[in-house]
Amino acid sequence: MFVFRIDSNSGVPPYLQLVQQVRQGVLLGFLAEGDRLPLIREVSETVAINPNTVAKAYRQLEQEGLVTGRPGQGTFVNATEAAPVSPATYTSLQRGLETWLGRARAAGLDEQAINALFTAALNKARNENIA
Amino acid sequence: MTEHALQTDGLGKRYRRTWALQDCSLSVPSGRVTALVGPNGAGKSTFLRLVVGLLAPTTGSVEVLGRPATDTPQALSRIGFLAQDHPLYKHFTVAELLRVGRSCNLRFDQELAERRLRQLDIPLDRKAGALSGGQQAQVALALALGKRPDLLVLDEPMASLDPVARLEFLQALMGAVAEDGMTVLFSSHVVPELERVCDHLIVLNHSRVTVAGDIDDLLTEHRLLVGPRTTADLDRSGTVVEATHSERHTTLLVRDGGAPAAPGWQASPVGLEDLVLSYLRQPARKEVAA
Amino acid sequence: MTWLTWRQHRAEMYALGLLVAAIGAFLLAVGLQMHSLFPGGAGQCTGIDLTEACSTAIRRLNDEHGYASKMLNLFSLVPFLIGAFFGAPLVARELEAGTWQFAWTQSVPRMRWLAVKLGALGFATALLAGVFSAVITWYRQPMDVLDGRFGADAFDLEGLAPAGYALFAFAAATAAGAVLRRSLPALAVALGAFLAVRVLVAGWLRPNYQDTQRLVELVAVGDPADVGNPRMSTGNHLDWTIASGYTDSAGRPLSLYDSAAMYSAAEKEGVKFSAYLHERGVQQWVEFQPAERFWTFQLVETTIFAGLAAALLALVVWRFRRRVF
Repeated sequence: MFVFRIDSNSGVPPYLQLVQQVRQGVLLGFLAEGDRLPLIREVSETVAINPNTVAKAYRQLEQEGLVTGRPGQGTFVNATEAAPVSPATYTSLQRGLETWLGRARAAGLDEQAINALFTAALNKARNENIA
Repeated sequence: MTEHALQTDGLGKRYRRTWALQDCSLSVPSGRVTALVGPNGAGKSTFLRLVVGLLAPTTGSVEVLGRPATDTPQALSRIGFLAQDHPLYKHFTVAELLRVGRSCNLRFDQELAERRLRQLDIPLDRKAGALSGGQQAQVALALALGKRPDLLVLDEPMASLDPVARLEFLQALMGAVAEDGMTVLFSSHVVPELERVCDHLIVLNHSRVTVAGDIDDLLTEHRLLVGPRTTADLDRSGTVVEATHSERHTTLLVRDGGAPAAPGWQASPVGLEDLVLSYLRQPARKEVAA
Repeated sequence: MTWLTWRQHRAEMYALGLLVAAIGAFLLAVGLQMHSLFPGGAGQCTGIDLTEACSTAIRRLNDEHGYASKMLNLFSLVPFLIGAFFGAPLVARELEAGTWQFAWTQSVPRMRWLAVKLGALGFATALLAGVFSAVITWYRQPMDVLDGRFGADAFDLEGLAPAGYALFAFAAATAAGAVLRRSLPALAVALGAFLAVRVLVAGWLRPNYQDTQRLVELVAVGDPADVGNPRMSTGNHLDWTIASGYTDSAGRPLSLYDSAAMYSAAEKEGVKFSAYLHERGVQQWVEFQPAERFWTFQLVETTIFAGLAAALLALVVWRFRRRVF
């Protein structure tokens, strides 16, 4: 059974954390087609999270087409047609990021500075996407 | 079930000369988990006691589950209340406390309460006073849930618990909410844990409600604006909740604000914790002399 | 709710029950011995001409049971203990421990909660005090016959009055607890109120429950007259003498100073004081409450204390109704 975690201090809204974890799970192959996600009640009880939040996350996942809710049975992972990111691409992206991190460290940036830089870049990208 | 589990109108409570709660008009939707946040002494306990009928309001009205909050058996049976520091009869065994629940309630799900306590390995023959703080809180929660309430009200339920007991308490609470779909209203002065458990927020400060609403709505309505230092024209875009100035730049938390109006300004979303803290830092509203 | 009341207050019930039982057992033991001094009943040993057996019995009563009066005066706190130990924690303990918030958010409205508690514990209070006074009434029976029932060691412990006192203590402790929110200070305040009201009622009100009867007669030569006090008999040694004194032949009261002056004059003349008074037509008077008024007085006294108790409990009810806690 898939297990969720919540980091209260991450600043990421809890429902988004759940969504991201499922996305990541599908991406990394922890979740395969037909797998059942834990029931809302189970998630609430094990992670100590508002059931409405879990429901919201599941709704979003359904809208994204990642999962399908079957009344009375649960929520199941859909087949991902041609995974948007192949394991190879994923590995190569991670390598690239690791190289970048190495360069940042070498340039004298500490973890906080790296985080700030990364968040700023992410925000910028996001704003440009919206605009 | 009514649309609003709780609705107050001009609610106020005065103890002798001082107002513990003033001019409080708000509603809490059914089926939600609402957090009542505020510093100690802001009037949280007073508000909750008014809701469960322990106190009579000085002004205004409270409507709980569609009816005025009173202490009739019918009204009381639909509300579960967990007071601060989860007071229990310390000399009673857990089984005796369950018997109190059974003999003092119109409906009491003894089986449910016992099952909850068994799952937590809380011995029924132990005196309540001999249990750990976390276990006492769980017993008090089991007693409140045994009533199968439509509205569960908790006053600082986790204030006296260690981190492990806190998590276990939240697990039990959220599990029960998922199972029963009841409305929950709880007070807290700790912000970080709120976001995962609640979806509705009421901020109480200086005996008044400063902000109330759906957390998702609140987070979309509020924006953090950062720009060059300015002390003028702060009201240009939306309502400024809080302005902080450093030597070179100014940070504004605004509500209902659109895009930054002036060049050089950047908007970013605000986290729940920052939002709550900004409201809590607001000074007391000055009374306007009549 | 009944079970809850029992469970919460059973410690007090056990302790107070034990106290009353211990007192009862002790009084039964010494009482049987005392009663056996008067095989034909103490009623045969009243009057002036006593048989040899009666004189012996009364002497032994004084020798062997002389402590009774002091002991009984001590026992006059027992009704307080009974009432206050039920009353003080009734509301205060809930407020102290915060459990009021638990108790009054179950499906039992607080007014019913209060009604059940007051009813059950008030009943227990009256019952225990009743048993206590019944035992004492039995124990004191020979003394009552010999000395009357209006003394502080009799009237305050017999009949209905102790139940009234206990109910008053119960109400005072309950009300103090509801106001002070602490059991122990409530107990102390209730004790103060109890002593003050008891002293006030016994010393100031009780002699006036009914108009006193008054006897007036000329001082006779052989009367046992004292300065200021004619030591005049009412005709029944069980009556409660409230006051006595002298008036001159014209009916004007003689002050202590006057009668002292007469006493020295009588001494100077070498005649008996009573003869001196008789010669000058001085009258002696006594005001008293007849012995048969005992039950009327008990009823009035009990009504006063029960009435005060009701007023105090009404205060508690009022505080509850306003939901100020």
